[in-house]
Amino acid sequence: MQYVALLGTDERTAPAPGSDEYNANLGGYAAFSERNGAAIVDAAPLQRSDTATTIRHTDDPPLVTDGPYAESAEAIGGYYVLEAETLDDAIELARQIPVAEVGWVSIRPAVGWWDYTGGEGAEGADRWLALMYGKEEPDSGPGTDAWAEMAAAHQAFVASQADARTITAGGAVHPLDTATTVRVRDGEVLVTDGPYAESAEVTGGLYVLSAADRDAAVALASRIPSRPGGAVEVRPLHVLPAG
Amino acid sequence: MADAAAIAERTFREESGRALATLARLLGDLSAAEDAVQEAFVEAMRTWPVRGVPDRPGAWITTTARNRAVDRARREAGRGRREREASTVWSLPAEPDPPPSPVEEVLVPVDDDQLRLIFTCCHPALAPAAQVGLTLRLVCGLRISEIARAFLQPEPTVAQRLSRAKAKIRAAGIPFRVPPAHLLPERVPPVLACIYLVFTEGYSASAGDALVRHELCDEAVRLARLLVELMPDEPEAHGLAALVLLQDSRRAARLSPAGDIVLLEDQDRSRWDRDRIAAGLGALGRATRLAGGRGPGPYTLQAAIAAAHARAQSWAATDWPAIAARYADLAAVAPSPVVELNRAVAVSFAAGPEAGLAVLDAVAGDRRLARTHLVPAARADMLRRLGRPAEAADAYRTAAARARTGPERAFFARRLAECEGAGG
Repeated sequence: MQYVALLGTDERTAPAPGSDEYNANLGGYAAFSERNGAAIVDAAPLQRSDTATTIRHTDDPPLVTDGPYAESAEAIGGYYVLEAETLDDAIELARQIPVAEVGWVSIRPAVGWWDYTGGEGAEGADRWLALMYGKEEPDSGPGTDAWAEMAAAHQAFVASQADARTITAGGAVHPLDTATTVRVRDGEVLVTDGPYAESAEVTGGLYVLSAADRDAAVALASRIPSRPGGAVEVRPLHVLPAG
Repeated sequence: MADAAAIAERTFREESGRALATLARLLGDLSAAEDAVQEAFVEAMRTWPVRGVPDRPGAWITTTARNRAVDRARREAGRGRREREASTVWSLPAEPDPPPSPVEEVLVPVDDDQLRLIFTCCHPALAPAAQVGLTLRLVCGLRISEIARAFLQPEPTVAQRLSRAKAKIRAAGIPFRVPPAHLLPERVPPVLACIYLVFTEGYSASAGDALVRHELCDEAVRLARLLVELMPDEPEAHGLAALVLLQDSRRAARLSPAGDIVLLEDQDRSRWDRDRIAAGLGALGRATRLAGGRGPGPYTLQAAIAAAHARAQSWAATDWPAIAARYADLAAVAPSPVVELNRAVAVSFAAGPEAGLAVLDAVAGDRRLARTHLVPAARADMLRRLGRPAEAADAYRTAAARARTGPERAFFARRLAECEGAGG
């Protein structure tokens, strides 16, 4: 099975991407990758939530605002896509991610994760993460007609970008009810049912986009199929120092 | 006929928990196993009362349910294929291989499957309320309506909670297995906590006017004994069994004929269940021996405290210094404000109410106790024993205002009246 692990931190206390303290912590992540390389399908750190742009499908045309979907000190700082046989194996991986000791790791079973371009993006473009948010409708999970309808819309969206190579990867996750939060405190692993914050947790899925600038990324993200009332948050990936 | 039907139904329920566990492994899905057992139940109720209960009912249920599940899977296979063809991106993963044909061989329930089922139901990625509900439904075979009644919750709420939990087990890939040895120290405590929660909810109901829900106490005793059978080398499984048996031995003496709470102090000890006490003391001995140099765990320590009460011929003969010492041990392995509060009470009997109040004062400010009746109730009793009825009355008023159940409130009101009568 595949799992999407969202890494959460308190931005008031966590080091900012690119700072010396942040870079000093990268060793822990490198060691995690070293140990578990075979289980890591994809991963990237994000820039801070104040670099986000949010597209809300509450009106037509959608409302575009600066800032994250949910204003909160606790924010997603990166993601992993993990290959694991069972939830226990995914928890074993999540507990080793350094952020689990100070923040949290929210594990969501993925319906699937797809690499559309073999890791390549459009030339000279930056990477952006598009996170889908919004209230979950009852009976809209995998296996329902509502899900099949959305899946077809996403399929068409992905196909429309195949030539431009602007979507490098994407994944769909099971409903919030299936989330599990993992934290490690004083060496003890704390596993709890549900997402860390119900109101600020991805619903549906996420895309990795390749776009030259923010306007292009937002224009692309606003075409991501959404139910009325849904929202898409676009955030630049943080580029790690070489080596 | 009515008797035959009743015997058939009772036998089916006693045997179905083990059968369901084995089916869950064979079918790889809890809901499918539940549906299959339900179909076998319908079949059993049709044939057993007429032809008699089969010699090996567990094997009959397992085999019949498995064959019903296979029939169903074959019926649904064609439809599933059509659905899968409709979407290739963002679609469900491929279905497993087509199901095999019904078998002639007789399947028997496997004990290990029951342990797997318990660990699955009590997986820490499920909320505690869901763990308890799943365990009662799947391991004990209680109906949804019975669980709802026991917890005073609407049936649809319980049904929805269980169906969500089963959906999570399936979608999130919670494994159907006994965790490997290195995970047991993390995974055994939620199982123990779940069983103990069933017991405490039965023994000291958290809401409503009935103080004891006997069916939950009985299920918890059954579960604790089952766990000991399934994990005979786990000291805390024996410790939990000892605790539940020893506390449960006092169940009948704990309520007056009118349904009011009777304090340990005032209980008629001849009404304590001697068989339960003997079984509990035996389990406590095994727990202590198995723990060896590691020292007793929290359930074993609590059982040791319950055992000190069980051994005392009278309230006055209780070994309070030993109980206070066990609470101190317990506070060291599982610190909690409730443990400190209980230690304060034990100290008040071992060394006098003044000493008890000193311990109580140290924990009284704890936020986790703020809205409960526990601190004012303990304080009120110590003040009453010190001959300070006015202060005791104040504390009883607070305790009564915070009490959760009718009988608790009635008890504090009685004590309040006594203190006021004493010139307070």
